[in-house]
Amino acid sequence: MGCAASTEPGFDPARPYELHPDVALRPEPFGALAYHYGNRRLTFLRSPELVQLVTELGDHESVAASMAALGVATERRPALERALASLAKSEVVRPRSDGAVRAG
Amino acid sequence: MTVTETAPATQPVLPAGEHTAPGAERDQAAEASPLIEDELLVEEISIDGMCGVY
Repeated sequence: MGCAASTEPGFDPARPYELHPDVALRPEPFGALAYHYGNRRLTFLRSPELVQLVTELGDHESVAASMAALGVATERRPALERALASLAKSEVVRPRSDGAVRAG
Repeated sequence: MTVTETAPATQPVLPAGEHTAPGAERDQAAEASPLIEDELLVEEISIDGMCGVY
């Protein structure tokens, strides 16, 4: 069992990220279930705020910009960054190499 | 099936009056309150080996 008390190495909130295209999100009362069709991992996202952040990552130039656009409180950002870091490690989200903002 | 917690669970906070003088309770509680915000946001389950339709 890993510990994600600190941000995973390699995760950079200043970079653009997106929901991995192989991941399906199913809304749940507690947040959402994320299923990765490639690595067959099932991940519980236990916060609607985190779900909204994950789904909108592709619309913004960075994770920090996504949080700002959603109006995430400053004191909530470290916890959400740790959650996103673990989601990046699980390939639920991935860095956008081109840095482009999703169309539409 | 294995369950992996990938973010820290909610931090338990000791009762403020424990091991402290009565007059210090309010200050202790005020200092400790930010600690309980670190909640479990992500939980991962490996379903390798499970049978079924998915």
